[in-house]
This record gives sequence, C-alpha cells and structure tokens, in this order.
Amino acid sequence: MILEAKNVSYFYKSQKDKWILENVNYGFEPGKMYALLGPSGSGKTTLLSLLAGLDIPTKGEILYDGKPIAARDLTEHRKHHISLVFQSYNLIDYLTVAENVKLGGRKAPEPILDKMGIGKEYWKRNVLQLSGGQQQRVAIARALASDANVLLADEPTGNLDEATAWDVIDLLKKIAHEEGKCVIVVTHSKELADSADIAIRMDQF
Amino acid sequence: MNCLQRAWRSVMRKPIKSILLLLVMITVCLFLLCGMACRNADVQTQDTARQAIGAGLRLDANEKNRSKRLTECSEKIGEGQEGSYGGVHQKKLKTAYGAQWMVWCDNSFDCLQISDIEKLADVPGISDYNISTCMTAVNPVGFDRIEDPDLDQTSDMGGVVLIGNRKMELDSNVLSGNVTLKEGRMVTEKDRDVCVISEQLADQDHLAVGDQIGFNDYHDPEGSQVRKAAVIGIYQTKQMMSPLMAGDTFRSENIIFTDLRFPEKAEGSENDPCYEHAYFQVGDVDGYDAVKAAVSAVDIDWERYDLIDRNGNMSTMSSNFSDLEKISALLILITFAAGFIILFLIFVFWTKNRNYEIGILLSLGYKKRNVLGQLFAEAFITAFLAFAISFPLAPAASKAAADHLVSAQVEQEELEKNMDADKVAYSTVQSEQTVVGVEAGITKEMFLICGAGMVMLTAVSIGTAGIGILKKNPKDILSELV
Repeated sequence: MILEAKNVSYFYKSQKDKWILENVNYGFEPGKMYALLGPSGSGKTTLLSLLAGLDIPTKGEILYDGKPIAARDLTEHRKHHISLVFQSYNLIDYLTVAENVKLGGRKAPEPILDKMGIGKEYWKRNVLQLSGGQQQRVAIARALASDANVLLADEPTGNLDEATAWDVIDLLKKIAHEEGKCVIVVTHSKELADSADIAIRMDQF
Repeated sequence: MNCLQRAWRSVMRKPIKSILLLLVMITVCLFLLCGMACRNADVQTQDTARQAIGAGLRLDANEKNRSKRLTECSEKIGEGQEGSYGGVHQKKLKTAYGAQWMVWCDNSFDCLQISDIEKLADVPGISDYNISTCMTAVNPVGFDRIEDPDLDQTSDMGGVVLIGNRKMELDSNVLSGNVTLKEGRMVTEKDRDVCVISEQLADQDHLAVGDQIGFNDYHDPEGSQVRKAAVIGIYQTKQMMSPLMAGDTFRSENIIFTDLRFPEKAEGSENDPCYEHAYFQVGDVDGYDAVKAAVSAVDIDWERYDLIDRNGNMSTMSSNFSDLEKISALLILITFAAGFIILFLIFVFWTKNRNYEIGILLSLGYKKRNVLGQLFAEAFITAFLAFAISFPLAPAASKAAADHLVSAQVEQEELEKNMDADKVAYSTVQSEQTVVGVEAGITKEMFLICGAGMVMLTAVSIGTAGIGILKKNPKDILSELV
C-alpha cells in the first residue's frame, strides 16, 4: 500500500453531530486507478483532501508508505508525495503553459506537455488562451511534473465535453498503468468509474 | 519556479493591477519627497530672508534714566535757583500769570555718548554702524518747504526737519525699505555739508543733485548764520514717514537727510550734537545672539541705554516660514499615515483576490512563506519602479508644492495684515519683504530617506495584510478549490 486510510473519521467543526466520514479503512496501491463514487455529501472530496494532507482526520490517520503523514510536515507531503488535479483546472492565469507546468516540480515541462498532446505552439501561450480540455491536460501535466507517486483528481472531467472527458480518462489510466502511479479520482461519472481499475462507492464504508 | 520569478511575471503580465499600485506608490513617493523638499526650502528661504533683511542692534537712551538724571541735575542747580548743570538749564520767567520756572535740556544732555558708541562698534561681529541725530527743526533758506494750504501755520515753527546720519544706508527708514534713492547717492561718513531731499521738495523747488540749499536757526531766521548743504541725492518713500509731532515742519516731505554733524550747525549749536540712535549692524546674522551677548558685555554705563533688537522683521519672516516647516512636517506625517492605510487596504484586497492563486500554490506544496515572499517581491518591484519614476518628477513637483505653500503663507500673512490694518498701529514703518522665489531642491539624503520610508511603508503594509495568509489554514483556502 502506498496510501492508506486507517480508522479515519471526520466531522466539520460547525457540524459536530454529523460525521462526514466514520471509521474508513482503505488502502491504495500504486499502478492502479481508483474511482471514488457517491452522492453529494457522501464525503468523497473530504476523503480526497485528507489523503492529500490538506486537512487532518478527526480520528484515525492517513499513512503514506506505512508512515502517518501527520507525523511529518503536511506541506512536504503535498509537495513530494501528492499531485492534485482539480475540476476547474486551477492554472495560474499570468503564467504560460510551460510555466504552469514548471510550478508542479523540477521536471522539464516540454516532454510532459508533448506526452499530454499539447503542441509546441501552445507552450508559450497564456493558459487562458487554451480550450477547457487543453487546460485540463496542462493541469495533469503540472501534476506529472513532480515526482509524486499519488495523483489525486477531483472531478477532472466535470467541466469537459464527452469526447475530451474520455481523452482525460485515458490519460489518467495511462499514468496509472505506464508510470506506476496511484491515481485516485473523485467522480460522479459512471463511465469514468467503470473504466477505473477499482471503483469505490462511498456508501460502502 | 521561485517566488521572484513568479513575482516578476505577475507584475509584468497583470499591467492594470500593477499600474494602479504603481500610481499609488508614485503619489506616496512624490508626497514624501515634496514634504522633505518643502522643509528644506523653508530653511533656505528663512536663511536667505535673514541675510537679505539683515540684523542689528539699536542703542537708544533709556527714558527712566533720563528722568533720573534730570532730577539729579536739577538738585545740583538747587531748588528755586537759576543756573545750568550737565546740560540742564533752569530759568525763572516772568509771565502775565506770575513767575514760572522753565527747565530745558541742551543737546549734550540727551546725546548718546560717542565714546560708548565707538566702544560698541569695536565689538567683533559688528560689521558697520550708524549714528542718527534727533529730528532737528531748522529754517529753510533759498527754498520753500512743502505746506498744506488749508492748514493754520501760526503755531508751526515754519521750518523743515534735518536727520543727520553717519551712514544713511543704515538709517532705520532706509533699512525698513521705506526710503529709497530716486537719484544721486546717500550720505556717507566722509561727507560734510551735504543733504538728500525728498522728491516732492525737489519737484516743488526745482532742485536737482548738485544744487545748494541753506538752513539756519528757526528761532532767529533773520539774524542766524545760514549753513549751506549740497544736494547729493533725492529720495522717495513707499509711504509717508511718521511725523514726530503735528505741523508741516515735521511732515514726511520736509524731512531732509544730512551728514552727521550738519543739523547741529544749521540750528546754531555747532559742536553740540544730538545723537539719538546708534545702529550696529551684525555681519553674520546666524551669529546674532553671540554678537548681542558680546555687545551687552562691553563696559559702559548701561543704565543710560536701551539695547534694542532690530530683527523684528526677521522674526516675523521666521515665524511665517516656521509655519511652513510645520505644514511640511505634517504633510510627511499625513503621507506616511495615509500611505500606510491606502497600501494596507490595497494589499488586503489584493491578497483576498488572490486566494485562488494562493490556494493553488499551497496545494502544490509551496510554503506559506514562499507565497508571502512572492507578494513582498511584487510590492517591492512596484515600489522600486515607483521610486525610479519619482526621481525625475520629484524636483518639479517639489518646486510646485513649495511655491504653492509659500504663496499660500504669504497670502495668509497679507490677509491677516489687512484684517489688522485698522486695529494695529505701528510706531515704525513696516518693511515689505516679497518672496520672489523658493528653492526646493531634492538632495541625495532625501532620496535615501524616501527610499527607506517606502521600503518600510511597503513592508509594514504588506506584512500586516499578509498576516491573514499566515493565519489561514490551507484547507480554508483550498476548500474553495477542492
């Protein structure tokens, strides 16, 4: 297991009587693509933020490589172990395509962009000049620029048309299978869940 | 990509945001420089004004001491006795109303002691000195005085007035700027039997420089000796000189400036001068207080004299420009306070608007201090650009600000003077000093202080605004993104 939720429970401070997650136990392996499914409010995004080290569980712990991430600096966990891809791409608007990718890590952006199918002519353009699908590819390229072994994606196809969404799904699968990364995707999409190696319904916890 | 690289790109690629911040910073920068330049201009103007006006000490007879001496002399002559002592004369007159005592003093009693004047003139720091005689009424010979045809002249002595000067350019009327030469020259210490007449007298009697006019004792216009004086100059006044007493003898146009010893000759009391004032010019006005102390320390009978500061105009000018100094200091303080508030609000708004970007960077594993460092770097890049742009603009802006402040001060002073016009009486003619220009130079020190001030202002503003980022939990920022 590269990433593991162990007896994880969580509630928001403002709603102490309502547990968002209760005693969740699950392990994620490298080289596989996981899909987290479930209705709104089922705790998908919460679990993702706990796995990313953006927050800490009320009870239980998140282990990375068998060690609790809370024992380390969470910023370091985010920087070295986790890559994040968001539904709204979250690219920085005053940087070019290549510069946005550079933000992700030390790897040279060009080969990654090439692999993501972003043509050379786009590399020096402002990201806002790209289409939604291209922007999401740049966001994934930025995630790949780091050496992180885990890629967490929150509704990565939520803002894309069907054809582009499939492209992105294929890309994520490739990253899991070819690069040996653990890809965890939060989604509402049944198609995406079906194409994942493992689909996890949040109500099963 | 480090925070400096990101900061540079953010500044360059978000021009509207950068230009707005840049304009605010340029304004703050210019206001700071203007404030400092005005403070400096203030000092320069003040010093220039002091040098232009000049300063000195006037020696007058002490009135209390005069009364005391008069009583002592009368006692020496003896009560009910006729006689003279120390320049005081007592005489019993028989009148229609019975016997009456007349007491009068001659020039020797009222005259300032020349030995004392010369002692004071030798004090280091006294660059020059003047002696002025009292206004001496004499009879004009060979020319007519100026008279008011509607005035009853029966009680007037029918004369003109002479003021003798060792050096006319140091006469109080000349120093105040009221009397200026229209033609010819002023009386100097080497002149003998010369005079400077008013332009009205010259016009009426068709007198010109080089002409000779005569005077004698008005008590005996027919029998007394006529003393001639050559006209060496014609003066004009900005406003009439205050008459010593009523009557056309003392009217401004009939005042004639002569060499020091001429009035005593004209009134028939040669070798019995009446020196009324002595004026000691201080060479370096900045050393005024030290010179005054040295003069006061000279061993003379100080009970006889009053030593009067003749720097009243200088004080007025100084106090006016001290107001300017206060305004300038206030301008700097207000700029700092307003600059801080404006920049703080801009940066608070700025960081709030950049939550999205801050969230992305935090999610990518960038530390808070790295994010804050980028904001600092952006602010400092803008501050540096603002400072660089202010460099060439500052001298012109400072000059305009200083000119405006000084003219506002002068206007204010003029307004106050006009308001007081019918309420305040001046015993002497007030000088009219006009500010012709203001120097508001920007020095290297000012740039350094302004630079340091801007760095401090920017650092404090963004530091205070950035506390919000440091306090925030990454999840609070990122919850909007995840």
